[in-house]
Amino acid sequence: MALLFRFLQAFALLILASSVAAEHTSNWAVLVSTSRFWFNYRHLANVLSLYRTVKRLGIPDSQIILMLPDDMACNPRNAFPGTVYSNADRAVDLYGDNIEVDYRGYEVTVENFIRLLTDRLDEDVPRSKRLGSDAGSNVLVYMTGHGGDQFLKFQDAEEIGAWDLADAFGQMWEKKRYHELLFMIDTCQANTMYTHFYSPNIVATGSSELDQSSYSHHADNDVGVAVIDRWTYYVLEFLETQVTSANSKLNLGDLFDSYDESKIHSQPGVRWDLFPGGEQEGRLRTVVDFFGNVQNVEVENANATEPGSLKEDLAEIMRLVEKWQKRDEEYSAIIGDSAQNATEKVPSSSNVNLAPKKTVGSTKMAEDSNWAKQLVGLSVVGACTAIWVAGSILGRSAV
Amino acid sequence: MTTKQGDQASPQASASQPNESTVKSAPPPETPAAVLTRFRVIAAFWAVIIFLGFPIWWKTTSIYRAHLPIEEMVDWADGKACRPVFPLEIHLATPSMQSIEAQHLLRTTQHTLDDLNEFAAHHLRLKLANDSATASHSVDNGFDGAINAEGQAPDTALTVRLLAQEGLAAPRSELHAATTQLDVFYPPSQVPVPSSSNSPLSAFIAEELQQLYGEEKATIAHILSGHTGSLDSTSPRIAESISRRLRRSMKYAETYHLSFSLFTPGSEPSSWDIEAAVKEYLSPLLQAFEPISNFTVDTQVQLYANFAPTAPRPEYDETEAAWTFKKEDLSAFVNAAEWPLNPSIGNGPTINFILYVPDPSQSPLIVKENRASSWIVPQWGGVYLLNPTLANSKQGQVNPAHLSQDSLGPAFMTFSHQLLTLLGTPSTPSSLPLRLQTSIRIRAATLLLSASSTMGSLARLTESLPSIPIPASVASSVSTTLSHLGATCSHLREGRFGAALASARVAETEAERSFFEKSMVGQVYFPDEHKVAVYLPLLGPIGVPLVVSLLKELKRIAAGRKARRAAAAA
Amino acid sequence: MIDRKVMVFGAAFVLRLLLICLFPSLPDLLTGRVEVSTPVNSFKRLQEGLFLYSGNVSPYDGGTFHQAPLLLPLFALLPDAKTWPLPTAIFYILVDLVNAQALVTISESGQSINSRFHSAVRKHVRWNGVSVAAWFLFNPFTIATCLARSTSVFTASGILFAVSNAVSGNSVNAMLALGFASYLSMYPALMFLPLVLVCYDRRTQSPQAPKIAPFILQHAGLLLASVAGLLGLSFLITGNFWEFISATYGFHLLVPDLTPNVGLWWYFFIEMFDSFREFFLGVFWLHLASYVGGLTARFRRQPLFVITSLLGVFAIFKPYPSISDASLFFALLPLYRHLFPLMRYTFFAVSAMLYSSLLGPAFYHLWIYAGSGNANFFYAITLVWSLGLSILLADTIFAALRDEWEQDNPGKQGTEVRQV
Repeated sequence: MALLFRFLQAFALLILASSVAAEHTSNWAVLVSTSRFWFNYRHLANVLSLYRTVKRLGIPDSQIILMLPDDMACNPRNAFPGTVYSNADRAVDLYGDNIEVDYRGYEVTVENFIRLLTDRLDEDVPRSKRLGSDAGSNVLVYMTGHGGDQFLKFQDAEEIGAWDLADAFGQMWEKKRYHELLFMIDTCQANTMYTHFYSPNIVATGSSELDQSSYSHHADNDVGVAVIDRWTYYVLEFLETQVTSANSKLNLGDLFDSYDESKIHSQPGVRWDLFPGGEQEGRLRTVVDFFGNVQNVEVENANATEPGSLKEDLAEIMRLVEKWQKRDEEYSAIIGDSAQNATEKVPSSSNVNLAPKKTVGSTKMAEDSNWAKQLVGLSVVGACTAIWVAGSILGRSAV
Repeated sequence: MTTKQGDQASPQASASQPNESTVKSAPPPETPAAVLTRFRVIAAFWAVIIFLGFPIWWKTTSIYRAHLPIEEMVDWADGKACRPVFPLEIHLATPSMQSIEAQHLLRTTQHTLDDLNEFAAHHLRLKLANDSATASHSVDNGFDGAINAEGQAPDTALTVRLLAQEGLAAPRSELHAATTQLDVFYPPSQVPVPSSSNSPLSAFIAEELQQLYGEEKATIAHILSGHTGSLDSTSPRIAESISRRLRRSMKYAETYHLSFSLFTPGSEPSSWDIEAAVKEYLSPLLQAFEPISNFTVDTQVQLYANFAPTAPRPEYDETEAAWTFKKEDLSAFVNAAEWPLNPSIGNGPTINFILYVPDPSQSPLIVKENRASSWIVPQWGGVYLLNPTLANSKQGQVNPAHLSQDSLGPAFMTFSHQLLTLLGTPSTPSSLPLRLQTSIRIRAATLLLSASSTMGSLARLTESLPSIPIPASVASSVSTTLSHLGATCSHLREGRFGAALASARVAETEAERSFFEKSMVGQVYFPDEHKVAVYLPLLGPIGVPLVVSLLKELKRIAAGRKARRAAAAA
Repeated sequence: MIDRKVMVFGAAFVLRLLLICLFPSLPDLLTGRVEVSTPVNSFKRLQEGLFLYSGNVSPYDGGTFHQAPLLLPLFALLPDAKTWPLPTAIFYILVDLVNAQALVTISESGQSINSRFHSAVRKHVRWNGVSVAAWFLFNPFTIATCLARSTSVFTASGILFAVSNAVSGNSVNAMLALGFASYLSMYPALMFLPLVLVCYDRRTQSPQAPKIAPFILQHAGLLLASVAGLLGLSFLITGNFWEFISATYGFHLLVPDLTPNVGLWWYFFIEMFDSFREFFLGVFWLHLASYVGGLTARFRRQPLFVITSLLGVFAIFKPYPSISDASLFFALLPLYRHLFPLMRYTFFAVSAMLYSSLLGPAFYHLWIYAGSGNANFFYAITLVWSLGLSILLADTIFAALRDEWEQDNPGKQGTEVRQV
């Protein structure tokens, strides 16, 4: 009986959850390349291609966290300095004019990545380096690099384990830092990375099964290295050719159905079971739910009169301002002298809370006391010498 | 490297082997002095290990986990520790009524209200404002009435003044827009007779109040139910507007950073009376919001600010005689890549307000669909297109070089409105002070829930990750949070919403601080086999010779003792 | 004999001066090299501290200066090294010569060959004091340290004078000098035990021999007093006791600066999981300290040799080592010329060291400037360097043991000797 009840409860919860699930209020993307060095050019190109796509579909830079461990564009071996291409035709320079790298070089570490996800960052880390997602945010996490069974190598020194990643997502869910999360990973044995996930509302997809390698797609002979990985290439092909606008109605099901093992040369995987409603429900999420942004500006209708509309508000604010002025005058009339303070208080109240700047007390450098310093020096040397001489006399007499 | 002993042992062994085979002489017996020296050497090494090494190992590798009141935290998260209620106190001022009549009216109205109310957590309590001193005081102060709640008395949410007016067929109400006062005019004939249990007047007042607080009630119900359900009676329109408001309003923060930017594609206007404008138009609003959040303001002027290269350009519309943007193009209006908009200073989120003065050649600039000149970007900020009167000069028409305070007026009023919207102020009732009070209650409820749920998350986190360190600061933050949550709850129960919000803010800040404690990121997953990998490569080469020598030494001592005992026995 | 000494000292002086005059940029180049300058002995950082000090600002405010505060008034006496480099350079050269003089004293006391309990088998195989001094003065590592104006030379002076006073019987000054060295760099305090034994052995050669325990306690008191006196003086100068303690000794102990150097710590602590950092700090320091007891017990007969080998241990295992530490070890090694025939891996050790001192700068360049290598390149070289040093050290210790053994068993050449 109790079991049945619990089952019913779970079922009710599920239904409830799925009925509200579709709403999200913002989009965030975390795009991570984890390997450095020139011959890993393609990983950087993978990430930058995806970066370009999500930007095209409307996620602003302030909501994209881009982690690049190396700077291929400025690598001395790059025959096309200042550029990164993900295709041998070199049609699109991914580096371009407008990329905002949030974590670069040796800042890309496992610790920083986990701190980013869980937001356990120092207070003075700027907001541009933080994942500011909340309970209404859809988060896209894309990772690429060299990996193995249940780990992904970061830089040339460390690796993140599937458990750590699962725990990080678990903590994000606990703190309501995502609404739905799409996890994509392109690395060897990629599908092992999401096996330990346990938090709900995650769709995970990877490029290859356990014991399978992920291969690069093609090399550019002039660049001299492979420029993109297969799985990412075909994902991008889908996104670029089919999802042409932010209003696209294509869904995740379409994206995952586009995987072609004969082209990718490995078996991509998808994990649905964490998603409420499982595969059926998950497939219905549109691609732009994760790759695009919530696109709505609210133009204010200057003529509307309903409560809360611009016109009404303006009238109210006007009254507030007037009242305030009246009050101010009364104040000055009553308090007289201290009115000065009262009026000053008004602007200061808005400015007084400016982020407290830590002012290091400036100290005046005084150059004039040079002689004093030399005197101190002389006396120190003198004292040491005196002790030394005394020591020699004492020591000799003791022998 | 670290194996001086190891390096030592092998050459000796190899050196001794050939010698022994060629010379064929056993090594001479060790002298007792040599044995003693060896014992001392080994003892010296082991003394360091035992007296210094082990304490250091113990001290530095134990994970500090402060004690957290897990059960209490979970209770808060599950809503067992506190059931938030919102008793709103409404004063009934009846200057023209007999006290008996007024009492009766109060009772019947209260009765009707209670009948109408379907959401028990939020209810209205009527009270006669005969001790009119406090009532008038709060009326005067308007929104301050809710704030000066440090005392014991509950806040007065609203004062209803009943005024008899001849020549009315039915009661009529009028809400003072600048104060928290509702005037109800009624025909004197409708004063309820003490014997009747119902009267049109009390029904009218109850209906009126119910309507006044309808949206607030729906919102709070929406929040308390965890964004899943809503009241049955909520009209779809209100429900839609609530969810829309929640969608576009900023996440709560202790401090918001307001950034006002003047952008123009040319060289002019290059200055604006921003300080005066902020002081004049914005300060009152910020003052009013003081109990809810803090604000910091910064401003900038950016000349030669161009649209993004891919963004759509404005088109000239003959019928409007103006340059226009299509509504769907507005999302690309802000050139996020090139306009320096994200100051990223401080901890608070930034709300951006952009005042855009178009080039004289593209002036006036408006939105095509409804001739509006401003719009809100949800969770981000607002934009206002300012089309100043152009001045004539030799080069043709130019923008004025300076924007005076008066010309900024409409823009800043609009920004104020956008700020209200972005902070999630409800749209009804139409009195701003009342809306701010409602905001306070909504915020208190939101923060109470969010801090409680953070406590629950932290509790679950500490239980599920046994290897994560929990510094003492987290424990103290948790206890501050819990005590402030308790205070919030009791303040709410007694109707002191200002004080409740103040406690809730502290609770929220501390809860966030405890959850996001920086040092709680350890190597989260660190199984014991990894520890072997940490200890062995370094300690192995040092440890093995030390252990082996210790064992040999012990064996020797045991043998020596046995020999001595045998000798003694013999 | 005197003429030879004057010649050697004069030649060393002229050589250094010539290098400075011919290559004026050489001192600054060397000052910037990580192999020579570490955060705790860099002349650049000293100048920063000096600037702050002369401007009446706390020298530790900038977070770059971590050296003992008494160096500041000392250097305030010298003219500014940027505009007048020569006086400072000459001062450093003089310090080198004084150090060499201390070495001569040590060598001529003959304590390395004949001490209270010990008399080397191959007494005739030895170098005189001038040769030992020449070995020190013309060691390229010493020259580089001198030109780079590293403040390690003062620690080296402290140690050398402590030893020279100890072997010539002035135990009071030995403790004062050791106190000075410990005050500057902290780690020399670990040499107290062998040093006091040198003093004690020297004292027992005179008629009235004191008891050993009170003697040690007395000298420990003396050492503490001298360090306390210097700390007190520093307090008078800086005014903020805890600030300079945490900026100097705290910096030595907790190793917060992981700038690459020739040692083993920096790379290890970069790689170490944070949660184990404190534990391994303890392990590394204990490892460094644990040699004192063992070596002193084993070589009770030759405490001077214990000091020498401890210097070798420090050059390998201390937190911020530089080539100046190695040069100090190399300075004392020639005192044991008689052990050289017993050493078997000199070729390997020397070639490892040559290899690493040539490739080290190249790999550092590849890593930091060319960007075509990574940290492992340089670290591998520092590993080779440490390997070379430790082979040399182990070989020396083996030779000394062998020597002792041969002394105990005259006529027997080459049988087993065990240590630990």
